[in-house]
Amino acid sequence: MQTLNEISIDAAYEAARQRTGNPLELELAFTRAYRECAVTHAFARELKCLGVMFPAILLPIEPSDLLAGRIRYPLVGFSAEAMGLGYYCREDEIREVLRLAELPPEKSGEVEEMLEFWRGENTQAKTRAAYPPAVREALPSDNWTVESGIVFPLYRMAGTVPDYGKLLRLGIPGLRRELEQRIGDALPGTEESRLLQHLQGAVEILENACRHYAKQAELQASHATDAAVKEQLQNMSQCLAGLPLHPPATFQEALQLFWLYALLSGSWNYGRMDVYMGPYLARDVEAGILGEGEALRLLHSLWQLMNAYSNQYNNRVFVGGMGRDNPEEADRFALLALEASRSLPLNQPQLSLRFYEGQNPELMALAITSLGEGRTFPLLYNDDVNVPAVSKAFHVSHDEALQYVPFGCGEYVLDHRGVGTPNGLINLMKCLEVTLHGGIDPVTGRAMGNATGEVRGFRTFEELWSAYCRQVEYHVAALALQEKIEYEVVGETSPFLMLSLLYDDCLERGRSIFSGGVRYLGGTLEAYGNINASDSLAALKKWVYDERRYTLQEVVAACDANFEGYEALRADLLLAPKFGNDDDEADSMAQRVHNHVCHVAMEQAGKVGLHSYLVVIINNWVNALFGKTTAASPDGRLAGETLANAVNPSPGMDRNGVTAFLNSLAKLDANIHAGAVQNMKFSKSLFTRHRAKLEALLAGYFRQGGTQAMVTVVSRGDLEAAMREPGKWGHLMVRVGGFSARFIDLPHEAQLDVLHRTLYE
Amino acid sequence: MPESPTGIVFDIQRAALHDGPGVRTVVFLKGCYLRCQWCHNPESWALEPQVAAQPDAPGQHRTFGRTMSVAEVMQIVLRDRVYYEVSGGGITLSGGEPTFQFEFCKALLRAAQDHGIPTCLDTSGQDKQEDFAELLPLVDLFLYDYKLTSSESHLRWTGEGNERILNNLDFLYQSGATILLRCPILPGINDSQEHLEGIAALSRKYPRLRGIEILPYHDIGHYKFGLLGLDPPRLTTSVPTEKEQLRYKQVLAGLGVQTTS
Repeated sequence: MQTLNEISIDAAYEAARQRTGNPLELELAFTRAYRECAVTHAFARELKCLGVMFPAILLPIEPSDLLAGRIRYPLVGFSAEAMGLGYYCREDEIREVLRLAELPPEKSGEVEEMLEFWRGENTQAKTRAAYPPAVREALPSDNWTVESGIVFPLYRMAGTVPDYGKLLRLGIPGLRRELEQRIGDALPGTEESRLLQHLQGAVEILENACRHYAKQAELQASHATDAAVKEQLQNMSQCLAGLPLHPPATFQEALQLFWLYALLSGSWNYGRMDVYMGPYLARDVEAGILGEGEALRLLHSLWQLMNAYSNQYNNRVFVGGMGRDNPEEADRFALLALEASRSLPLNQPQLSLRFYEGQNPELMALAITSLGEGRTFPLLYNDDVNVPAVSKAFHVSHDEALQYVPFGCGEYVLDHRGVGTPNGLINLMKCLEVTLHGGIDPVTGRAMGNATGEVRGFRTFEELWSAYCRQVEYHVAALALQEKIEYEVVGETSPFLMLSLLYDDCLERGRSIFSGGVRYLGGTLEAYGNINASDSLAALKKWVYDERRYTLQEVVAACDANFEGYEALRADLLLAPKFGNDDDEADSMAQRVHNHVCHVAMEQAGKVGLHSYLVVIINNWVNALFGKTTAASPDGRLAGETLANAVNPSPGMDRNGVTAFLNSLAKLDANIHAGAVQNMKFSKSLFTRHRAKLEALLAGYFRQGGTQAMVTVVSRGDLEAAMREPGKWGHLMVRVGGFSARFIDLPHEAQLDVLHRTLYE
Repeated sequence: MPESPTGIVFDIQRAALHDGPGVRTVVFLKGCYLRCQWCHNPESWALEPQVAAQPDAPGQHRTFGRTMSVAEVMQIVLRDRVYYEVSGGGITLSGGEPTFQFEFCKALLRAAQDHGIPTCLDTSGQDKQEDFAELLPLVDLFLYDYKLTSSESHLRWTGEGNERILNNLDFLYQSGATILLRCPILPGINDSQEHLEGIAALSRKYPRLRGIEILPYHDIGHYKFGLLGLDPPRLTTSVPTEKEQLRYKQVLAGLGVQTTS
């Protein structure tokens, strides 16, 4: 199972391996360009480096493509998140390529020198080097996929969403005009003026990419023997050639310009696509130049390209919701997008539907049909709850909160006016574990975190609770400061021209996105193990402090023994109240854990100088990786088992019916975080035989405060059959956490995790 | 404040989708007048709570039934109010025979009504007519069982004849109650032409029935006989296949009965 951006890294490695000649030529060229500019301004350096990457890393148009735009990153390059933070160098993969290619000594010497250069110069290394001692101490390791720890930093500028509406409105000529005008108004020699000039260079790179693909399509057309293919390619070439000359006028032109920009910007979440695409679709269909069938084929092609640009944890497309300028036109696109995802079973893009009471009911109806057919898309977001919640959590007006868009696995951000990259991971179960071991990580035996005192000192539950809280507070504070430092290093190192060009308020302020340009610079941290921690605390409260059946030391000893020889004790722990049953004892503990970590995070924003700093409770597989390095826990979980998925109950622990499950989920305050993922698994027969009741269950959940739902419709028999005979079940899609996957592609433990979740029938 | 009446409840099932319209909470009351040999809830027969050994967990016991007050039951029922509202659901009293604990049953229905929650009564019909007369204004929908057309067979398989059940059905129908007839079908016991024609006859006699539902037999409660120390049921039936179920529906359709399920 890959984590975060490993998919693009693997692809890059494969591509480099298969290159003929010197497989690392591009990486060396990129490095030369960087070094030539090392002493000049960061703006010029980035532009020059982008010039090396584009169009060199754009892959050829494939026969099935109706739109141009495929990409494969080099192993040394520049990215927002696909390959790493800013300037990256994938040393391990390069060494592997080097080993296989058997380069002549002078060439391999050059590569070695390149590796040596980047070791201190890559943006991640620069970020770590900038940590003050306190941050270094709290965050000793970056190796979160393997090592045991409470918190880890992440290095990326994730979840950016440029203003595609503006891109399409102005087109390339309009962007040029705006820059020229602003340059005319700016004082020469200022930061603003320099930024604007380099943004012109970024527009040129976009133009070049259009011309590159126009030429390629023309060439492919000249070789095509099939008349239909030839016409198709000529049409594509014409579309691309026109983009530098005029703003997009047709649906196809709009899709094409959008997609190339997305690839060049390195941003792989696409915001409210129905808002910016709706007018083009509506105009074409009404003018009779585009049939619904053709429109669907174009969108299928875009979906395929997104799927090829593989990142199952991102690739978010949003439709529906409050705050759309022209809802009728947007709905037209939304319905087309829902149909595209329904009729093309892929695990990407992650199509998501925002909705509210009073929205055109056709959207939800089609969404439910698609889910019922086992697509896992769209993901459902309840605006009636989320808009006011975002307004509170992000401290923005209602009007700005209307423009929230979840990205990645489910983190909210303000469309093209905010950034909130999730760059910290915290394992709350590990926080409790270390607290229960006097500041020692029982997995490694090493001292960790805050010294909160010996276990025997926790005479009351409140004393234990307060020690746990101090542990959390210490680590969250370190992560918040880390995030701020990461932004500072990135801001100094690179202007991220392709993002700055289309991000509010970079042009107005004359600042690049991460050095004062973006309107709202916020941060997020991903919390894991929340429910294991709260169920564990509930079990300890019951058996140790309320009923006094066991001492705290006994429970800790049992956990240390992975419950071997403590079977009866474990049975009691499992019987303790568990989140997910509408049980007030368990649920209030979950609320307490949730409120605490969320408020602690929020308090950091002002301290470190971010507009907001918020918890996200998502899941992209980290629950399984963190589970591996987390000992047996007082909720009865065994050592190494996965942690509960986001804010879902531990697998199989919700035993009180679906309404009780949904009620528990809805109890966690939505006003204090930036997204919490809720997965639910319903049986196929429920969908087919009782669709109205299932719709009512979802409606009831949303009416009482449910923020969102990620729905899998499946039958237990199908899951079991797919484990036995994977060859026959390639079509079976499941929602794992904040992402969807073909069930058969999941590692065994993830399959079990999905299987063991309660199936509501 | 008057004391909240208590009764013996052996299960409360939330989010039930098959016992009445919409999303419902089903409250199962202990005690029953019948001894249907195919019963999937034999723990409902006796009124008093029963303790059973757990074969899979030596030394552990499982108790069927606990005393609850109306207020305690309602506290759980009310948690799903929003789902009742959006789905047209509510509370269903089942059992056992819910009227066996008549005062408790009545108090629960009244409490639900006071909270504006729609009510269903899942009944065998085996009770005094005066009781049904009293419940009539408290029940929005009767889920009324019809098991066997021949009273002799009824006696043999359930321990009672069906005269009282048919009389009560007639009484409720003539009194304007909304009734959904529920017919368990057990291969070899009541899947005969005679019984299917009996169902059809009722549907003709009572044209304003809300519907006729076929409930195919299932054996998931069978293990509980042993658990409770009851004699194993004298049963010569099997779980009907999809094909058999389809046949029942076709036969009934041929007799002019549209079934729901």
